[in-house]
This record gives sequence, structure tokens and C-alpha cells, in this order.
Amino acid sequence: MKKYTYIIFAVLFCWVSACKKLDTPPPSIVQDADIFSNSAGIQAYMARMYAELPIEDFRYSPARGLNFFWIISPFSAVSGEALSRDQNGAMQENLTFDSRPTTWSLCYTLIRDANYFSETLPKYASNYTPAQISAWLGEARFLRAATYFALVKRYGGVPIVDKVLQYPQQSIDELKIPRSSEEKVYDFISTDLDYAYTNMGESNQVGRANKYVAAGFKSRAMLYAGSIAKYNNINLTDGGGNRLCGIPAAKAVTYFKAAYDAAVLLDGKYSLYKKAWAAGDKNAQYQNYVNLFFDATSPENVFVRQYHYPESVHGYDAYNVPRQLMGANGYSSEINPTLNFVEMFDGIPKNADGTIKTTTGGKYDLYTNTMDLFANAEPRLRATVILPGDAFKGVNIEIRRGIYTGSSAGGISPLLPAGSTAHYPTDHIIQSANANQTPYTLPNGTTMNPAGLSGYFTGDGTCSVSGFSIRKNLVPDKPTSEVLENRSDQTWLEMRYAEVLLNRAEAAVELNALGQNDKSYLQDAFTAINQIRDRAGANLLLSPADLGDINVVRTERKKELGFENKTWWDLRRWRVIDKEQNSTIYRTLMPFYSANDGKYFFDARLDERNSRYTFDVRWYYEQIPQGEIQKSQNLIQNPGY
Amino acid sequence: MKTIFYSIALSVLVAAGSSCSKVDNYAAPDVTLKGVVTDAATGKSVQTEQGSGTRIKLLEISWSSNPTPFYISSFQDGTYTNTKLFAGKNVISAEGPFVPMVQVDNNGKIIVDKSRTVDVKGVTTVNFSVDPFLRIDWVGDPVLNADGTITTSFKITRGTSDPNFQQDVSDVAVFVNSNKYVGNNNYDNRYTPTLSGSNASSSVGKTVSLTTIGGPLPGKREYFIRVAARIAYGLNYYNYTDVKVVTVP
Repeated sequence: MKKYTYIIFAVLFCWVSACKKLDTPPPSIVQDADIFSNSAGIQAYMARMYAELPIEDFRYSPARGLNFFWIISPFSAVSGEALSRDQNGAMQENLTFDSRPTTWSLCYTLIRDANYFSETLPKYASNYTPAQISAWLGEARFLRAATYFALVKRYGGVPIVDKVLQYPQQSIDELKIPRSSEEKVYDFISTDLDYAYTNMGESNQVGRANKYVAAGFKSRAMLYAGSIAKYNNINLTDGGGNRLCGIPAAKAVTYFKAAYDAAVLLDGKYSLYKKAWAAGDKNAQYQNYVNLFFDATSPENVFVRQYHYPESVHGYDAYNVPRQLMGANGYSSEINPTLNFVEMFDGIPKNADGTIKTTTGGKYDLYTNTMDLFANAEPRLRATVILPGDAFKGVNIEIRRGIYTGSSAGGISPLLPAGSTAHYPTDHIIQSANANQTPYTLPNGTTMNPAGLSGYFTGDGTCSVSGFSIRKNLVPDKPTSEVLENRSDQTWLEMRYAEVLLNRAEAAVELNALGQNDKSYLQDAFTAINQIRDRAGANLLLSPADLGDINVVRTERKKELGFENKTWWDLRRWRVIDKEQNSTIYRTLMPFYSANDGKYFFDARLDERNSRYTFDVRWYYEQIPQGEIQKSQNLIQNPGY
Repeated sequence: MKTIFYSIALSVLVAAGSSCSKVDNYAAPDVTLKGVVTDAATGKSVQTEQGSGTRIKLLEISWSSNPTPFYISSFQDGTYTNTKLFAGKNVISAEGPFVPMVQVDNNGKIIVDKSRTVDVKGVTTVNFSVDPFLRIDWVGDPVLNADGTITTSFKITRGTSDPNFQQDVSDVAVFVNSNKYVGNNNYDNRYTPTLSGSNASSSVGKTVSLTTIGGPLPGKREYFIRVAARIAYGLNYYNYTDVKVVTVP
């Protein structure tokens, strides 16, 4: 009998003790403790948040949204910096492409991740030093602020979520958070970035933020806020008196001051890249400007996003190399800078109205080589744009519209009337429909292809459609065998010190215009702009009085930050893009070879493809995705949609 | 056994067939809503551009107190019509280049609400009478000059005395196009003359003449001409004249 008692006890004992171990988390699922109790886990969590940070980098286009590989409708072909065969007009960001999540939902996912991090990390505080904890909490705030900035610059005021939302603990009605005012969102960003600046360290891993990155982002965000306060005249106020679209004009000074003060914090911590720069040497200045985008140790890099083949890649080289260096995927020359962009730079012959000068007394000027027109061009222009005939990867990029066979006695008159969008007349002009060319025999007996190796081809768009090709950010020594989609891994420079200087200069000029004189703002802007111009090899400003017109700073910004996916947002916050893109056709420069002269001439004309750009005023505040409003009916749609 | 099998099969068929009879027999929308937006002072319709100009906002409150708005774009002459609506109770207002029918102050309080609650059924006509921001009048017909250009004379006046809508005139344009749909969303900028900045803001109350740019207009065709101006308010809607045609021989 006793035997049975023992057996029962033994069974009970095993049973009870075994039960304890049943309620354990499945070992195949990563738990909070796995992540938050060691710094490698924290690094992994951070890596994912940075990877999802909504910045417009090599993997962004308005047509397909954030973080997508296929960039054949480049952002710069929406802002007027470039023309592209696959982007033929103005647009706002596409709400949904191919059922991918919208920018709105991507941003709120990341905000939740940042909030979750901030709430969970303190539970594991005993594993770390207080300095580590505060730096990481600051970093999470930086990421949240940068994400809110991506939202507010698109939609205006958005719902502020500053803690992890719980469902079903909180009811659905509680979770339908209405939009805050645009001003409150900018203030929220400012507070987060101040927190980040106070708590983060002076340095961090490459690709992660430090306190100065937070200050740099603050200068950017506050400059946007100041511009909205000063230039916006769209108003949307909800029933509670929150101004969802627009900021009171009285706040402009506050925001511009905040932008200026934040930019000053980076003084002495970063500097413009001048490693290969030499005073008075245009070639060195050009080479220096090209190198700046590829030197990992550049003191100008404030905030970057790194790529690495094969895990994390993009296809910038494959989509944008000139036609004659096309890779095996068959893509090329998607970004072709407009003549409007090129004309902003110094060192090219110009007419009184600032347009490029290609004729004298109604007859075309003749040049032996296409590069002769650009002999004195500003080094920064050559480093940003491949000019017709300039060298890239050891070859000359040949861009020619056609061969002119007409008589040249007494000079050649313009082929088309000014302002024409017509095709060129076909008599006296030999042209080529595509890259399979039939050589033409010149009067001296030699043969020449009608079009250059990189275009212009009349039949297909796989060529330089504007007469220029992009150079900025293209790797100068990438072998053509590697010019493939998803094969590029150069670093994206999201924030350069040059931008911080430009933020500072713009805020200073705006403050001066608003009558602020507690500092010598104009003098400070003058110094900043001339630092940039000096490095670029451009003409320097002569005196602070040259900055009386805000457009001087703005043009400098467009030149320096061109093709870095910033210009469209700038034109938008200045509220000028609806005037700039108002049934607008951008200009191109077409080089012709005159057979009888044996020389080149250039025709500046409107885009032959007749792509018209019109920016709809409604787009100053983008449409909130209808699906989000269906989920949360308290969201008020922006005006006009 | 066979009987049971057949009776089961039969009952399944009957069940399937009878459940199919519940078709969606809700009548297709057949209600028409139409009308026109007119200038309260002159009684003429307020000209606009199609697609990005005047639109009618419908809030159907038969089912929900917080409905998703439904919009009907008006034609460029200020009339609108929609023949495929469901009958229902709607709060209707218009948005466009005129003093807003619903205005809120800085605290979000509704201070003006001229929207109307209408039972929309059958053929319902709802007209609106508004104060346009600007009134633009032709001064004579556009003239074809000897050099092949066209000169248009017009006069811009304020359409409202409300001090909140006296912003400077930011743009004036004589839009030129080759078809009758002419406006800021559809014009030929090779020929269209424009005024902006102080030239535009000082043009109010005066007779202004503008001549087409870009040299002589190509001949043997008609040009459609429309004068427009806007103030810097909200979505910067343009006010327009009606369309006039000039034939270039």
C-alpha cells in the first residue's frame, strides 16, 4: 500500500514541478530581454530604425515612395532640376504604389518603434551606464523627430503619438487621435531634438546620429517652419481651433531664430570638404567636389546612410550612367539636368537675361569642341553635371543632336523661332533615331555618326534628353560590368555641413528681412555663402549688401544641393513652385555639328518632348491617404482633396 | 439508400437555388442634382476652371452625422450637374474663387455657414449666390493687331468688401489656348501674357491692356482667350471672364 503512496507522491511531484516550466516564452521568438539586455541587441534595434528612417535617398522616388529599388522616375525630374524619359510632369508623392504601405503608415510604424524603445529601455537600465542610457534615449527621440519631420513637411499638422498605444487596453475611440496643429508638430520636433542634443554624445557610429546631427536636423526643421509661417497662405482650422495647415506669421521670427541658433551649434565641429582643393586651380576644385561624395572620412558628412553590397544596395549608377556606358540591365541616363539648372552657375557665356549665350548677332557661335563653350565653367557645375564632351570614367561623353549640312556662308541662323517646341526641320539636319547609327560622310571624306554615343536619339528616350547627363553621386571608377541594378552601394549623404551653412545663411537673411538686428545677420550669411562659393570655385559675393535679395541664398542652395532630393521640398516651403511650374516646359541645350564648318554650335530650346509641368496649389499639403481617414474618422482631409 | 441520397441531393439543390434569389436589388442611382454658382451682385455665373476650380461639397447626413464628403466639380461656366446620385438628405455647399460659404475663426468656431440642407430626390436644383474675390470684365473685344498679336483689354474690380478677402492680386493672365477649355490648368504659355508682383496688385480698378507674347500667332486657326486674376488666399483660385474667340486668318 505504501508503495502506491510513494508512486502518487512521485507523480504529483513531477507533475507540479514540470508545470512550472510550461509557461515559458517560446525560444524561437526574440524577447525584449534578448534585445534590451545587451548592447549588441540595442545596436540591432537601432539599425532597423535607421534603415526605415523616412529620408529621400537613393531608393526614393515620388512615383514609388520610400525605400524601393526601382528609381526610373527620379525625384529631380519632378522638381525641374532634370528631365527624364519616364517622368514627364509635376506630381505629388504617389499615395500607394503597388499596394505598398503609404509614407503615412510607414512613419507611424517607426514612431511606434521609437516609443517602444524609449519605454522599454529603462527597465533594463541596470545593465548599462547612465551615460549609455541617456544617449540611447536621446537617439530614439532623434529618430522620432526626424520621422515627424517627414510627416509634417508632407501633410501639415498630424496626430502626435508620444507613447506606445495599447489595444485592446485602450478603446478604438481613444485611439482615433485627431491631428494637432502644424505649429504644435514643429514644436514637438523641436523639443525632441533639444532632448536629443542634450542627452547624446559628441560622436557615434557612422550612419547614426550624435548631438550635432540632432542640431543640424533642428536647423532644417525650424527653417521649414519659419518659411511656412512667412510664406504660406493656406488655412485649415478644426473645430477645436487647431490650425492644421499653416502657422501664424508672427511665429516666423521665433522659428528662423531657432534654425539659426541650431546651425551655429555645429560651428567648428564639421567643415567643408577641401582635401584636394587648391586656390585658383579649377581642376583641383572640380576633383575635390567630385571626391566629396565618396570620401568616408570627409569632415563635411553630418548624417549619412550607408549601403553595402550585397545585403543593402541601390541602383543609382545603373539608372543614371550616360548611354554610352550603359550596363547589362539596359538602363541609362534617367537623370538629365535641365539647361535651367545649368544656367544658374558661373563661368558660362550669358545673355543679359541670364540665359546661356549661344548666338551673336542672330547667328550661332561656332566651337571646335563641345566643351569649349564650358571652358571657364564653375568647377562645381562640372562636378555636378556631365557637360557635353566632358570626360567620365576615362571616356569623353559624346552628346550631339545631329549634323547640320546646310550652307554656313554668312553664319547659321537659329533653326527654330524662339520659344518653339516643334521638332527640328529635317532638311539640312541628319539625325539618328536610336543607337544603331548610320555614319554620315562629311565633306572632307571622313565619316561621323549623326548623334553622339550618348544621344540625342529621336526615336527612343534612352539618351541624354536635355543635352546633359548627371555626374553627382555616380561612382567615377565603377567598371561597366558592375553597373547593374541592385549593385551600387555608395553612401547617401543626407546632411552635409554645406546644408547647415545654407540653413544658417537663409535663416539669417530672413531674420534681417524681418527687421531683427540683435546680431549682424547679413554679415554672417555673407561669410557662410562665400565659404560655399569659394569651395565651389564660383564667383564670390562682394559685400553683405549683395544678399538683399533672398533669391541669392535660395539659388545658392539650389546649386549646392542639386540632385540631393532637397530642392522640391525647398521650392515647396518657399511657396514658389506653383509659379515656377505653371504650364512650364524646361529648357535643353542641343549641340549640332556643322558639316561645312567642321565645328559645333549650340541651340538652346524648350524641351522637344513638350513635357509640361504644372504644380497644383493643393499639393502644398499632400492628400492624407483615404484609407487612414476610414480607419480614424477624426482625421480631417487637407483642403481641396 | 438511393432514395435518401437523391432526397439529400435535391434538398441541397433547392437550398442553393433559393438562396441565390437574394440578389442585390437596390435601385441604381438615378437622382439628378444640378445648379449654378452665381455672383450675388451681377446675377451672372461665376466663371472657373474645370477640375481645379469650383466644386460642390455634399455631406450626406441620412446615415451618419460625420460623413465623408462627396464632391462634384463644376463646369468652367460655373454650372454643375450629376445624374447618378442616390436620394438622401445632404448638406450642400460650394468651394471656389469666392468668399467661402463656411468660415471658421482662429478658435475653430464656425462664424459663417451658408451651406444648405436639402432633400435630394428626383431632379433637384440647388443654386448658390456668392461674392467672388474678383470680378473681371471685358473692355471691348480682343483685337487682332496688324503684327499678328492679340491685345485684350479688361478691368479687374473687387467682388467683395469683406476686409478678410482684400489680399493683393498676385497674378493676372490673359490665357490663350487652341480650344475652348482654357484656363490656368490648360493654356499655351508661349503666347500667354501675365502680370505678377506689383504690376498685378496695382491693376485693380483700372482698364488694363495686355498683348500676347512670343511674336505673331500662327495663322489659319482660332484662339480662345480668357482673362484671369487671383488673390493670395487659400488655394489661390483664379477668377475668370468667359471665353472669347479670335480667328487669325
